[in-house]
Formats: sequence, structure tokens, C-alpha cells
Amino acid sequence: MKKKTYIYRRFERFWHWNQALLILFLALTGFEIHSTYKLFGFQNAVIMHNIAAWALLVLIIFAIFWHFVTGEWKQYIPTTKYIKAQINYYIIGIFKGAPHPTNKTVYNKFNPLQRLIYLGLKLFVIPVQIITGFIYLFYVYPDSPAIFFNLEIVAYIHTIGAFMLLIFVVAHVYLTTTGDTPLSSIKAMITGWEEIDIDNEEVRMAHLQKAVEESVAGYYRLDKDGNITDVNDAWLKMYRCKDKAKIIGQHYSKTRDKRNISEMDSIVKRVFKGETITGIPVIRRCFDESVGKHILSANPTYENGEISGIEGFVLDINETEELTDHMYYTVRNSSAGYYHLDENGNIVDVNDAWLKLYKFDSKDEVIGNHFTFTRNPEDKPALEEAYRKVMDGETITGEIATRKCKDGTTGKHILSANPITIGSKVSGMEGFILDISGLEETV
Amino acid sequence: MLTIKQSQNKFFRLLFFFIAIILPWIIGGVYVLNRSDREKNVKLINYKVNTIPEVDHSKFDILKQDFKTPQQITEACLSCHNKTDQEVMATSHWKWAKPYIKDNGDTIMLGKKNIVNNFCIGTKSNEKLCSSCHIGYGWKDMNAKFDNSRNIDCIVCHDQSGIYKKATGDYGLPAKKEMVICGIASHPFDYKKVLKSIGKPQRHNCGACHYVGGGGNNVKHGDLEMALNKTSRKVDVHMGVNSANMGCIECHKTKRHDIKGNLYSIASANKNRVSCEECHTEAPHKNPILNEHTDRIACQTCHIPEFAKVNPTKMYWDWSTAGKFNPDGSMMMKKDSAGAMTYHTKKGSFIWAKNVKPEYIWSNGEARHYIMGDKIDPKKTVHLNYFKGTYTDKNSKIIPVKRFTGKQIYDAKNNYMIIPHLFGKDTTSYWLNFDWNKAAKTGMAEVGLPYSGKFGFVSTQMDWPVNHMVAPREESLTCTECHSRNGRLAKVTDFYLPGRNYNNLLDVIGVIMILLSILGVIIHATLRIIKK
Repeated sequence: MKKKTYIYRRFERFWHWNQALLILFLALTGFEIHSTYKLFGFQNAVIMHNIAAWALLVLIIFAIFWHFVTGEWKQYIPTTKYIKAQINYYIIGIFKGAPHPTNKTVYNKFNPLQRLIYLGLKLFVIPVQIITGFIYLFYVYPDSPAIFFNLEIVAYIHTIGAFMLLIFVVAHVYLTTTGDTPLSSIKAMITGWEEIDIDNEEVRMAHLQKAVEESVAGYYRLDKDGNITDVNDAWLKMYRCKDKAKIIGQHYSKTRDKRNISEMDSIVKRVFKGETITGIPVIRRCFDESVGKHILSANPTYENGEISGIEGFVLDINETEELTDHMYYTVRNSSAGYYHLDENGNIVDVNDAWLKLYKFDSKDEVIGNHFTFTRNPEDKPALEEAYRKVMDGETITGEIATRKCKDGTTGKHILSANPITIGSKVSGMEGFILDISGLEETV
Repeated sequence: MLTIKQSQNKFFRLLFFFIAIILPWIIGGVYVLNRSDREKNVKLINYKVNTIPEVDHSKFDILKQDFKTPQQITEACLSCHNKTDQEVMATSHWKWAKPYIKDNGDTIMLGKKNIVNNFCIGTKSNEKLCSSCHIGYGWKDMNAKFDNSRNIDCIVCHDQSGIYKKATGDYGLPAKKEMVICGIASHPFDYKKVLKSIGKPQRHNCGACHYVGGGGNNVKHGDLEMALNKTSRKVDVHMGVNSANMGCIECHKTKRHDIKGNLYSIASANKNRVSCEECHTEAPHKNPILNEHTDRIACQTCHIPEFAKVNPTKMYWDWSTAGKFNPDGSMMMKKDSAGAMTYHTKKGSFIWAKNVKPEYIWSNGEARHYIMGDKIDPKKTVHLNYFKGTYTDKNSKIIPVKRFTGKQIYDAKNNYMIIPHLFGKDTTSYWLNFDWNKAAKTGMAEVGLPYSGKFGFVSTQMDWPVNHMVAPREESLTCTECHSRNGRLAKVTDFYLPGRNYNNLLDVIGVIMILLSILGVIIHATLRIIKK
């Protein structure tokens, strides 16, 4: 499946084009210093070359920082998988109109050949050019501590590096024309958007991870001893905790009132036996000593086939006025469902709990449909209003909604919804639902 | 579908992106183009112009006497300036010699008595003429003691009348009567006029000897000549009447008659040198890259692009062709179109040049000299002096020199240089008898070395550092004079010079690789288009 996707972010493009310009400019002035031709005049060429060198150094320091902060450095991890196929494609396949052997996705932007070449540039050629260049710049005849470097050797290495970069530029510019259309790759590097393959599994994993991090549902994870190993921002907010470091490593009992500990202990014990808890109302003790109520899910985490801890979600119900203490016991057996909609309101992803709640057998029955198909017609206006709110950037926590299941029956749940943003653009929404169908019967 | 607002938004985002890339380049470009490396004012330290008048010697009665001999004048000077004689006689201007450590470690006094040059060769047996440039009266034998203070010639350096002149060829004495020696006339003059003018040495006092070394104006140095007495900024930025108008002793500072500076025809130690840095500092430029150069490049290298800017200087002197006469028996003399002598029966053939680009060498300030008696290899050019210094010696700088070459007489059996007896009204002097054998025999007897009776002519070379005729800054060398493939430093090959050095193989391989990659791209693209 191909889709117009935001693939190169703003800094990435700024860095790419400025680096390209700087490398070409350094080559232009550098070969004048090499006496290959006369252009700016030797002195101007030297001054310009030096300024450009400093600019490139600063740019690369920012770029290194960016690669680590965004995790984009992982795109450059080399792989031998498909490398032969990629070479074969460029030598043979491309002339026969064969498809690219590897798919370009947001999480795998580079083919194995690109990974290898770019990594070589980043780890070898450019560092060598910068190091030899600055030795050259600061090499003051024998007074210099760099006496053990012979300037001649430094200069030759620098020249070799320059030739290698120029050869790279020739090949690189040419290979940009091997995209969908000759100009599509260059256009993508300018605008950031490109028609690329979507790897559903990959997108889903990333969204889930992001959903957990940014969701309004609190997420927590405990280790074998019941100590907290991770929580997300929503969890911290719910517990009114400002410093994550204060909670990590603490025993879960710290987050409970004394009278509730025994209940919690029994839940934990059950989960460690392999049971999954889907929606239990509990009372938490926040960091400012206030007390709150939420619905909690818990499931065991496995490592090498053995239970290694517990994780789960919590959804705040303090703000849900309609719910009484009595009510949330009714959702004891519900499970937290996850959904993800795109900017048109179509369902992109749901989890198994969601399917179970809606009584669907398979994801395929759901994905691609507009979200309204799970609703009664009379609820549509209210729902679309809520959807628009989220698409405008609002976040919804704990709203009660009625769902229409596959078999025509209806159910009630509380849902959370938060927008998904790429850059400053809202590209969809996602959230969790917890079942409260028992409510009606009880009332 | 994009709404107008959305497409506007998209446009402005791309515009912003474009500006973010282009803006740093514009700032950088404006900076480089508006950068000014020229100092508004020349940075100077330690430079003072003396404006307070000095002693007026015309007021002293003792100098108003009727002097018969120049020695009487010296006595009068010393009657006030007592002990000054000892100052003067301690200088190398008096001694014509400086200590020199030989290769075997012995320290000797090296001077005109035991060195050779490739102009008029040597002083031994020719003292009568050579002493014309000594600051004494009547130095006849350079091996004998010469320490009578009456014989100090105070006037030659202190006369400001311009009429005092030592006679040519009378042991440094002024003419007592009209005389003509070697075609040069010397006249007696009025001492009273001279003595009224006594003052601090001016350019013409120094120039009396230093302009005319080698037997004529600008023959030896190339950067020191009569034109400097009154010159323009263009010829010498320090001495020009339309610039600083400085005299010799403003740089060659003098303490108790010991004048700063070295003449490397004799000097060998890196001592007592005049330096530009003394006034201009070691970082005189605004551009730090230029200041970095001062570590290894002498100021003169860039700031004296050429010498002999007014009159030509002698570059080559071949003694082996001397002794040819016209058919009528008269002496043969040839001149080039500019009027410079290119052949003379007495001296042989010459090459002159004007606006000469210097040669460049490494120098750490120390020089070595050929000493009479040193063995030579007649198949090779004999270096009568040379400078110590290499790229790896961090005290060495690249300096400009005038390289003077020639051919001169040597003992073909003993393989050492000969000082011939050139000048004198006797039966052996070359300039009267034109017999090298006789001249060599007399000369070497005076030197105190055996002469085998066989002589030949050997190629010789001397380097004379060029320090004067400093050009105005707008005429100083630009980068590519040296930083280019065939620049001025093409012969100073012991280091890597950006812009000059390159590895030919590496460049060829590099260019071939680029061309191959372009060719590959063209073939690949063509195939893609055809197959489509």
C-alpha cells in the first residue's frame, strides 16, 4: 500500500540541503586552494573554505544531536539483507522495469545500499575530512604539537576525501532519479512528503508505542517484585507526580491507601499466576496525599516464557460524574480496547480487546471503515462533534458512549481520545475504551 | 483538494525553508566581500623620531684650525670624544673581522683578510685599493697590527658637507693632490668646510662604501645604491622622501659606535641583527592567516618583491674571459643597450639585471663561509658563503637573497681558491700585466699559501640577503606568488606548500574516477531510457 507520507522532517531537510551546498562549496574553494583553477582568488578561497568548514562542523554537530534525539540514527544501521538484491536491481532489474527489491517506509527510509554508503560517509569520509581539514587549518609549522603529522600526508588524505565526496555526489544525484518518477525523490527532500509504502505492522507498533507514551490513559509496568519500572506522562499526571524519578523503583503499594493494599495485593497475585485483569475500579493515593478513582487493567509480561512483571493501563473516572462507586464495579470484567483513526475518521487499527468488545472476529472486518459504522444513527451527530473536537487538538477523557456491535446489540463504554500529530498537523486520533455495559442492568 | 489557505500555507512554509537555507550563505557572502585586511594605520612600536637638535660642531674653535693631515682632525675629535677611539676600534667596521667557529670547532677571526668573494675576489695583496673603504687611514697589511687611534677616519661617517671623499687606491686616505687611479679621479678638498658640517651619519655616509661594493654603484647588493639617497615611496617605503623618509641609522641603531646589523659576506652568527619586528611586531597584519606566515616567512620575502628597482645590479661575473684586447692593443670594453658594462679586459664578462626577483632560501641567521685554504671540488659550484636553515629547523625562515654567480681563479693542483694580485703599479698585478700566473703567485704569497703554478676557473656562488627596497604594502606579494604550481618558492622543496604541492598520481586517479562515475551515470541513464 502506498501513501503520501511525511518522510523527511524540517530539520532533516535543512541539514541535508545545507550540507549538500557546503560540501559542493568546500569542493569548489578547496580545489582552487589545490591550484586546480582560479575562481575567487586564493585568499578569498582560503577564507571561504575556512568559514564553510566551521559552518559544516556546527551543522554536523546539530545533525548528530538530531539523529540521536529522534532515533533516526537507527535508519543507518547497516544490513547485508537484500544488499545483493539491491545491487542486482541497479545493474539488471531497473532496465526490465522490475520493482524495487526493498520498500521505502517511514521507519526504513533507506535501502541496504544507502544504509551502507551513508553510514560510511557519516562515520568515515566526513569525519576524516573534518579531522584532516582542521589539522590542516591549525597546523602551524613545526611549532605545532601536530608535528607528528606530516602536512603532506594530511593534505593528500584530505584530497582523497574530496574526490570520494565528489564521486558520491555524482552517484547520489543520479540515483535520486530512480524513484517513482525521476524527480519524486528530490521533491520529497524539498517538501518532506513522498508517496511511500506503508508497512502496517511497523506503523501499528510505532503507533502503539506512541499511543502509550502520549495517551490520556495512564500506563504502568511492574517488575517481578512489584516495583514500578515505567509509567507514562498521563500516569504521572493522574498521580500528581511531577518527577518521574520519584516513582521509578518504588513498590506499587506506595500508590495505595493502606486499606486498599490487600485488595491490590490479591490482584497482583492473580496476574502473576497468569490471569489478565480487564478493568477493575480502584482507589489511588496521589503524591499530594489526595485520593482518586480509576479503572485499571493489568496483564502479565513475559520474558523467555516466564512471567517477568505486570503492565496495564489506568483510566481516570473522577471526572465522570454519571458514574458512582457502585457503577465501576460493573466494568470489572471489561477489557481496555485500543483504536486508531486517520484524519478522515477511518479506522486504521484496533486491538483484540476492542474486537472482543464489538464482537468482531477479525481486524479485517473493521479496518478501513469509517468510525461511524460502529454507532447507532441517532448517536452520530454527538459523535461527529466529539471527533471534530479531537481533530482540532482537544483531548477527551472518560466520555461515555454507546457502541453498536457486529451482531446488532449495543454496549456502553467510557472512552478516551487524543489527537495524533505529525509536526503541527493532526493526522488522526486514537484512544482506549473500557466497557461499562453492566451499568444499565444495575441501574 | 487543497484550499487556497492551505496552498498559501504550503507556499510560505517552503519559502521559510528556502530562506533558512539561503540566509546563512548571504550573511557569509556579505562578510567575506566586506572584509578588509588592510590596516588603516601601520602598527608601530619602539619607533621615535628625534626632533631635538644635536650638538652644533661648527661652534667648536678646535675644529676651526688649519688641518694639514686627516690624522690631525682625528686627534682634535678625540680631544673631546676621549675613549671614543676604543669604541670605534672594537667594532667590525674597524676590524673587518668577526669571530667564526670552524667546522673543527676552532674559533678564528673571519674577515676580509681570509675570505674570498666572487666580485673582486680578495683583499690580500690589493689592500691599497680595498682599504679605500675602511674607516681608517693607511691600513697596508691586514695581518699586521693596526691600532693607532690617530688613524681612525671619523669624517667619512660624520661629514655632512658631501665633499669629503677618500681617494681611490691610497689605503683609505683622502687625496692630497689631484690623482686618477683606475680611471677614477680623486680631488683634494677644504677640511674647514667639512668640519663645519659634522653630524650624525646620513644615508650618503653609509652609502659611500655600502652602495659601491664590488667596484661600482649597486654592483654587489642590488638593494643598496645611490638612488636611495633621495628616493620615492615606490622604491623604498621607509626611505622615500614622500613616505617615512628614514635614514639608515633609524633601523641600524647604534650604541657606542657599534652599528646594529650584519653583512653576511663576513658575518656568520645569528647576533645583532636588525629586524622588522622590532617596530612592526610579530603580528603586524589584521588577517590572522597572514600573521601565521611570520613564523616561517621573513617579512622581506613578501615585502621585497624585487630589488635593483632603479639601477641594474651585477648578477654574474666571469673572470675567465678577462685579458682580451682590441686589435689595436687597447683595452676591450663592451656595454649593453642600457649602458652597463658587459665586458672589460681587466675583469672579464658580466651580466646585469634590473627589477630582479630574489631567490628564496631557508635561513636561521647563521652563515658559513669559504676560508682561504679550504679544499674545493672544481667540478661543482663553490659556495663561497651559504646560509644554514631548513624547514625542519624551527628557527629558520624563508628569506629573499640575491644569488650572485661567476667564474674565478683557483689553484688547479692544490684545489683551493686563489686571491690574485690585481691592483698595483708593479710587475705582477693582473690589471697592469694581464698574467694570471704572476698575479696568483704574488697574491698567494701574501695570503701565505703555496701556489702550485697551475690555475683554472671554477664556478662560484654567493647569497646576499635582500633587506632594503621594501615595497609599499600594495605591491607586496599576493598569495599565488608562492601558493601556485610554479611560484616563487618552486625551488624551496623541502616542505608541503598548499597550492604548490600535489600528488600527480592521486590527482589523476581522482579525476579519472569522477569521469568514470559520470560516464557510468550516462550509460546507465541511456540504457534506462532505451529500455523504457
